[in-house]
Parts: sequence; structure tokens; C-alpha cells
Amino acid sequence: MSRDILVIGGGIAGIQSSLDLAEMGFKVHLVERLPSIGGKMAQLDKTFPTNDCAI
Amino acid sequence: MLDVGRHPNIELLAYSEVEKVEGEAGDFRITVRRKARYVDEDKCTGCGACKEKCPTIVPDAFNRGLGQRKAIYSWFAQGIPSTHTIDPQYCRQLNGKKCGVCKKGCKADAINFDQKERIIELEVASIIVATGYDIFDPALIHEYQYGKIANVVTAIEFERLLSASGPTGGHLDRPSDRAIEAEIEELEKKAAKSQKVIGKFEEQHGESSAEFYTRYEKGEFKGDEEREKWAERYKEHLAIVEPLEALKKRAEGFSAAKRLAFIQCVGSRDARFYPFCSGYCCMHSIKEAIIAHEHGSETTSTIFGMDIRAVGKGFEEYKVRGGNNSNIRYARGRVAEIIEGPDNNPIVVYEDTRERKVKEEEFDLVILATACAPNSGVKQLAEILDIEIDRFGFYKTSANQPLDTSRPGIFVCGCAHGPMDIPESVAQASSAAARAVQIVTASEKLRKAS
Amino acid sequence: MTDKMDEKKGGLEEIRIGIFICDCGTNIAGHIDCSAVTSYAATLPNVVYAKENLYTCSESGIAEIINGIKQHNLNRVVVASCSPRTHQPLFQSSCSQAGMNPYLFEMANIRDQCSWVHMQQREGGTEKAKDLVRMAAAKAAFLEPQKDIEASLVARTLVIGGGVAGLSAAEGLAGMGIEVILIEQKSELGGLLRQIDTLGPEGDKASERISGLIGALKACPNVTIHTDSKMQDIAGYIGNYDVTIHQEGREEPIKEKVGCIVVATGALPLRPEGLFGYNGTNVITQIELEQMLKNKSFDAKDIVMIQCAGARCKERQYCSRICCMIAVKNAMIIKKQNPGANVHVLYRDMQMYGTEKEQMLWDARGMGVRFDIYDPDQPPEVKDGNVRFFQPLLGKPRDISYDLVVLSTPMVPREDAPNLSQMMRVAIDQNNFFMEAHAKLRPLDFATDGIFVAGSARYPATVEEARSQGLGVASRVATILFKDKLVTSAIVAEINPETCVGCLGCQQMCPYEAITYNPELNACEVNTILCKGCGCCASTCPSHSAQLKGFKPQQLLRQIRAV
Repeated sequence: MSRDILVIGGGIAGIQSSLDLAEMGFKVHLVERLPSIGGKMAQLDKTFPTNDCAI
Repeated sequence: MLDVGRHPNIELLAYSEVEKVEGEAGDFRITVRRKARYVDEDKCTGCGACKEKCPTIVPDAFNRGLGQRKAIYSWFAQGIPSTHTIDPQYCRQLNGKKCGVCKKGCKADAINFDQKERIIELEVASIIVATGYDIFDPALIHEYQYGKIANVVTAIEFERLLSASGPTGGHLDRPSDRAIEAEIEELEKKAAKSQKVIGKFEEQHGESSAEFYTRYEKGEFKGDEEREKWAERYKEHLAIVEPLEALKKRAEGFSAAKRLAFIQCVGSRDARFYPFCSGYCCMHSIKEAIIAHEHGSETTSTIFGMDIRAVGKGFEEYKVRGGNNSNIRYARGRVAEIIEGPDNNPIVVYEDTRERKVKEEEFDLVILATACAPNSGVKQLAEILDIEIDRFGFYKTSANQPLDTSRPGIFVCGCAHGPMDIPESVAQASSAAARAVQIVTASEKLRKAS
Repeated sequence: MTDKMDEKKGGLEEIRIGIFICDCGTNIAGHIDCSAVTSYAATLPNVVYAKENLYTCSESGIAEIINGIKQHNLNRVVVASCSPRTHQPLFQSSCSQAGMNPYLFEMANIRDQCSWVHMQQREGGTEKAKDLVRMAAAKAAFLEPQKDIEASLVARTLVIGGGVAGLSAAEGLAGMGIEVILIEQKSELGGLLRQIDTLGPEGDKASERISGLIGALKACPNVTIHTDSKMQDIAGYIGNYDVTIHQEGREEPIKEKVGCIVVATGALPLRPEGLFGYNGTNVITQIELEQMLKNKSFDAKDIVMIQCAGARCKERQYCSRICCMIAVKNAMIIKKQNPGANVHVLYRDMQMYGTEKEQMLWDARGMGVRFDIYDPDQPPEVKDGNVRFFQPLLGKPRDISYDLVVLSTPMVPREDAPNLSQMMRVAIDQNNFFMEAHAKLRPLDFATDGIFVAGSARYPATVEEARSQGLGVASRVATILFKDKLVTSAIVAEINPETCVGCLGCQQMCPYEAITYNPELNACEVNTILCKGCGCCASTCPSHSAQLKGFKPQQLLRQIRAV
């Protein structure tokens, strides 16, 4: 049986889940509908309250 | 984001969709459809030479249609993977026309017009659903005239206008002004062409078209076919140049948008559309107003909202700071309608609840804080995954197990679970990861025991 | 000094540098003459091999680096291409693959900092690229091999606080197979939830939720719970903390060794002394109302709730996030018990974010709960059974009589938060809430590695949010403790005890508290696990005793002098 984990969606939530799991040593399959990951957050210019760049 | 691309434990299946899920917690079998990019992922280095050469221009979905891209494209400049993709709807070659310019331009030999979609099978112990949300289409609210008044935009469109990597290079140019500028550019191209045509006549006859035309009008060249043609071409030229000059004159008065109005709860807290509060939009508007003020210190913003929900850590302080330092005015109430005034200026009609008066106020640009709508694919994926949807249209969980969907082994986080802001999404993503691992741990323990 | 440096360089081994110049398709080669840069690179001192690649990062480009190292016995590699931020790890791992120490790799950014900014200046851009390559090669000659730093990890976690967040963190960790030690100040687990009657308008009992959480935790193996306990002392760092716990009624302190720590100490509702005539009898707080509802002593008919009592004001600027929800929930519970009761909620903004909470607001209105806005500049006056407030919609004051006023007060940090923050060397904000590493992207981490935060200790959270954060923290801990050992970059500071005079200048500059003073040597020392290699100490040290590996003065000076 597999220990792998499937993550559907490559926005900020899917990315964070994937990174946590990968760092824990689990193999992650990240499926994203669009050509690149990044989701809505990649469309943001900056984020509050720190006004950091979103990417 | 970059870390995902290079983490050895992450297999990135972009441009792909889950088609089938079988089995149970601890032992799921997944079918994934990998769509054809017509570009070899292993070979493409993301250099972009192909898109420079591509002759087909299409609206750019990433920039919310505000800009343009080619038929071969990267989703956005820093996208991961950086692999380019050919849009089969627009690509000339894929639509049976002769082209293949990108293939010739690709030094990595990555273009493959014969690429087919592939089906792959995965075995996994648990599943995390993080499919996010959709932006509410504000055109459904007729009184705000989105799509009819050019200078009424959505918050995400405004975000792209603010962005240095966006279609305006970070200048707050108004869509109506940009449309006119585009028209000017188009007319200038035409004018240059027709100038060339009449230029030939001028050279040949050693006289300017204007002088010639005055004489022609007087009837000097009756029956001269050559000069008839010249007059014809000159008339055509004038028909381009005259409106061009008028537009240019108008464009002289263009300046960056300075008077901004933000309208909250567009589609949210509205029984006609979504009854719920989208949570993040108040802060989003405040942030945009503050950034806009950074772009130009004369910028003023009015945020129209029923409540300003600044509920996160540091949010209320940020809101107050915006009011004090960034020329933001908070006006309580729901905007009744938006109409178009002179110079394409939108006019906001609202009730000032403090003065108990209905007022009309003119702005340069109106930004609609659109609702966080359930993802359009929510029902389809719910069927594939066999999980329930709640009364608001998001994936259903329980108060006690806020990450667990109705099917054991499948978890949900972020805006697929309900509207929430970035830190909450990030925290939930970690929580869903913990739940997913617990499934692995539990099923391994079971196996050891048996 | 120059002679000494040359001697050192020559004395060890022959320096053999290989330089790879990337065209990046047309990104670089389209704007500068990469062939000219390559032939120039071949003429530089110590350079034995120079190669132009179409894409150095592509499979064939990587193969060329590996073959180059093998065929030409390279012991230094320079890649002139894009940003080290994105590609250095890839190139370094290729060097390792070919048997070269990855710390002998250097990068020159001739794209972002050259071809992209000088697109119209081919000649000047080409010259600048040559300069950048020459500088990188000069530095590369003086690089030293390094080994990644490794440290052991204790696969156990200390969770401080036995409320919803702490219980959920402990359950999450135990469910993933990580051993947990949970400490709780009080004699019983459950935290603030113990004082609450119901969790939602449907009347779910808080007590049932607590027993569910405690039951789930107690069913997990590898969980040790110490009640009546407080953290007394802590030493060590990520992977290896020594914690001393004081348990009431016990003389000997409890000593535990843990790898990570979760702070879930919660928060308390403010006691609004002196606000709106608070007296604890007929002007009370929401938490006091909860107790009345719990012990069934509630019998008021005309109830006025005042929101933001002691919040969003000069003393406490923040919005406490959950008080509106609590007020609406209690208003609905009251209306359900007695539909004839009059419940008025005076508010500034109803913070009913999300799906269920906003729905509660609609439902409460439907049940007849009245909501009225008040202006913070004209706050409601509570006097002799009457609340007077300015009603902006009517443009005049209004009076409501009451037999009970309920103040919705904000959650405030626990008094011992500053103490705990100092003990663990983690940050707190201006309100004394614990401060996460990044407001957006790392909400559950502290800037200090190995310590995490969840629940109202960070910022007021609902039960569901606290549970979610508790589980999330478990995941963050597991990213560290699921590994066999801790491996960190060798690019850290070192302090020469021979020349250090113990002035402590570096210690004050260090943002990671990685520097300690050793009185025996009268010198400062670097903890290489805590050090992040920022170089603040090196730039401060008056005697050049503190140096950052990979960025030592002789390495940087070589690079600069090559300009």
C-alpha cells in the first residue's frame, strides 16, 4: 500500500500542504488544473499588513 | 512556490485534472488526466523565445484579460513549472494553418505538436483538497454596470493594474484611457501606412497633398485618373488623421486615477447571490488603497461598506493607519448604483448614513470587492471524490474536525473550505497535512497489527 | 596581507576553475555577446576550462558541468547565468554529484543584473558581464570546502497549554507517532472552554467538546500530561531542548528533553474595570454571562450588549475577532430560552466573517435581536437602568432600559506571556501576543527554529480556528522531527577566540541569539545551529574575529578588487 499523498490545487493552501508533507518525508503528487501553480495569490501585487511582495 | 518545483518529494502535475477516485482511506487509487501542452516539459527551459516569435495574440487570462499574450505562453512570468503551453484554441498550427514559427525558434527542441493527453494512475493513502475559490462575476449586479462602465473594475483587476509586472507596468492608468490610447496606437499605424501611400504621389508630383487637394477641390484636374486616385487616398488619410488628432488632444488630459472608490460586499452578504461574508475583501480593499496611495500621494480612496471587518492580527491597526496616513475615508452603507458621468468618470450613488442624505459622488475609478464564490468545479470534483457540499457551496466539514470532509481520508483546506485569508489558509493547509499523515500512521499501525 | 593570502591559496592545491556561461536561450545571449564573455573567461587566472551553454540549467547543461569537473579535474566551478536564489541549489548539487565540494561553487548573475537591465547596450553589457565573471572567478579561487552542519534530534515535543489549541496539537502529534509532553497550569485540562456554556446557537455544550478532545488525547499512546505545571527553565536549541517544569506540590522539578516546543497558552477575556459602569452584578462581561447560563441563574428580560468594550481604543487598538460572534451566539441562546426577552446589541462593526457566522447574524435578526450602531466618539452611557446612545440613522440619542448589560470585552494576553517570551527567546508584539515568524506565510512558526505557536496565544481564535491551528502546528513540528537528524548550511559565522576581546558587539547585533559569551576564554562563541549566516556579527566585529564562512574578508576583498 502507498504512503503517498495527493494534493489537489496548487494555490497557497495546496502549496503549503505539499511542502509540509514533502518536508516530513512523504511523496506528494500535486495536481493543478492550470499550466502553473501559484493560484490567486500570484495575482496579488503585495500583501498586507507587511506589504510584502506576494510571490 | 519555487520550493515546490525543486523539492524531490513533490511530483508536480500541472495542467492536469483528477478524473477518478477509487478505494478508501489509506488505499486510494487515483486517475489523473494530463492535458497536452504541446511542449515537452523535460526539454522546455522556460526561456520564452517561442512566445516572442508567435504571431497569434490572445487576451491574457492571468492578467484578467487586461493584457495580451501569445498563443504559446507561460501562465505568468514566475510560474512554476516555467514550461510553456500552447493554447489549442488559438494556435495556428494546431488549427490546420501553416505556422510552426515557435518550433523553429525553440533551441531546446521542446515543441511537439503531436503531443497527446495522457492518463496516469496514482496510489495514495490520503487526499487533500485545496481547490480554492472563484471570483464572483460582478456583471450579475446590474446596478453596478461592471462591463458597461470601463472604469469600474474588480479588486483583482485593480491588483494587476497596481502590479509592476501587470499590463500597465504598475501605473494607475484608467481602462477607458487605455482603450483610447490603444485606439490612438492603432490609428497611428494606419496613418503611417496611408502617409506612405500619399507620400508617393507627393514625391512624384512635387507638391504636398494639402496644396494639391485645394486645387483639386477647385476642379483643376478633371478627368485626370492618377490625380483622382491621389485625392481618394488623401481623403482616406484625412479620415484617419482627423479623429486621431482629436483623440490625441483628449489623451493629453489623461492622468493616473487619483479618486478611488472601493465598494465592499459585491455579491457577498447579499441574499440574491451569496449570503455569507467573504472575510478577506475589507482588508484587500484597504491594502489596495494604501498601495495606490504609495503610487501617488495625492490619491484619495473612499471605502463603502456595511461593516469594515478588520478581524485579523494587526488588521484594525492597519485600517486605522490607512485612514490616518493614506487618505482613506470609510463610508458606511451599501452603494445603490453606479452611473457614468463626464470623462468616463463613474458616479457612485449612496446614502450617507451620518447625514441621512442620498448623495452622488464622482470618482476616477471604482473598484468592486467581489465575493469569494465557491469554485465552479466544486460540484464536479465533489462527485468524483464522493464528498458532500455545505449549504453555502463549499466542501462540508464538521466543527469538531474542521479539516475532514464527509469521506474518511479526504481533507479540505483554504478557500475550498470557505472564504478565508492567507494566514488562515496557510494554517489550515498545515492542519490538513497533519490529518493526511495521521491516515498513513494509522493504516500502517493496522497493517503491523494484522 | 596579500602575500599571506596568495601563499595560502598556492600552498594547498592547484586551483582549477571551470566557468560555464549560460545563454539562457536569448535572455542573455540576445543582449550580450556570450561567446566573447566565454573566451574572455578562459583567459582569467586559474581558469582551466570555459564553456558556453544554451541553457546551463537544462539536462545537457548539467551534464556539461559534471563532465567538465571530471575531465578537467576542476576544483572550483563558476556559473554565470541567472539568480543564485533560484538556481544555486541545483548547480551545487550537480557539483556534489561530480565529487566536488558544493561550497566551492560560485555564481555570477549576468541575466537579472546585466542582460535584462542593459538590453539596448550590447557592448557595455558584454563588458559588465566580463567584470561580473572576473569577480566571481577571483572569489572562487579563495573559497574553502565546507561540510553541512549536522545535529541530533530528540523526537519528542513539549506542548505548553491544555486548551483547545494545545489539546489539538498534542493529539495531532501523537496521531502522527510523535511523543508528547503536555503541561497545563491549572489542575484540569480544557482551558477557557471550561468557563463557557455553549459553542453555537444550536446549544452544543462546551463541556462535551472538552471531554471529547481530552478523551481523544488520552486514547493516544506516548502522551504524558502534567497538570498544575509551569515551565520553569529552558536551555538548548532546536532538536535538543532541556526543559525544567515545576509542578505544584512537588519538590523535585520535572526534567524533560524535547526537540520542539509548542506554545498554546491561550488568552483571557479582559475584566473591564471602570468601563460602562461594570460591576459584575447587572453590568457584566460575556464570560460572566456564560457562567450564569451554565449554572442556570440567568433570568434577565431586557438585555443590552455593548461590543468593543475596551477594544479598538487607545489602550488596545486591536479587534479581538471573536467577541461579536460570542455576543450574537449568546443573544440567540437567550432568545431561544425566552422569546419575549429584549436583546439589543450596540456595535461598531459586526465582525461576523465567513459563512456560518454571517448566517448567525441573519438568523439572530430573524429571531428579533436588535442591532444598533454606536459611534466610538459618543460611546453609550450606562446609568441607573438606562443605556443612552447616539443613533446616527435617526440623528438623535436613544434610550433603552435594561436589567442586564453585557460587555463584550476583548481577549487579552496572559500576564506571564512576556516572561515566557523571554525565557524561550521568542518575540511578542506590542499587545503582548506571541509573534509569528511571518504574518502571512508562517502563521504558526516563531522566527526561532523549533518553537511554534497556536491558538489565542498568537491572536484571539474561535474554537474551530484553535483546533485547526493546533493540528497545523503538529504538522510544522513533524517537518523537523520526522527527520533522522538536523542538517543545516555550513554558511555560518565563526569567531576566532585568539583575537576576540569579548566586547559583545556581535552578540547585540545577532538577530537569532546565536552568540554567547564564554567567560573562560573571554571570547564570544557561535551556536552553529542557531546561526543563519546573515553576517551581522562579521560586519560589526572591530577585530575581524567574527567571520562568515564563504564570505570572509579575503574572499570578498578578492572579489571587489577584481572590479
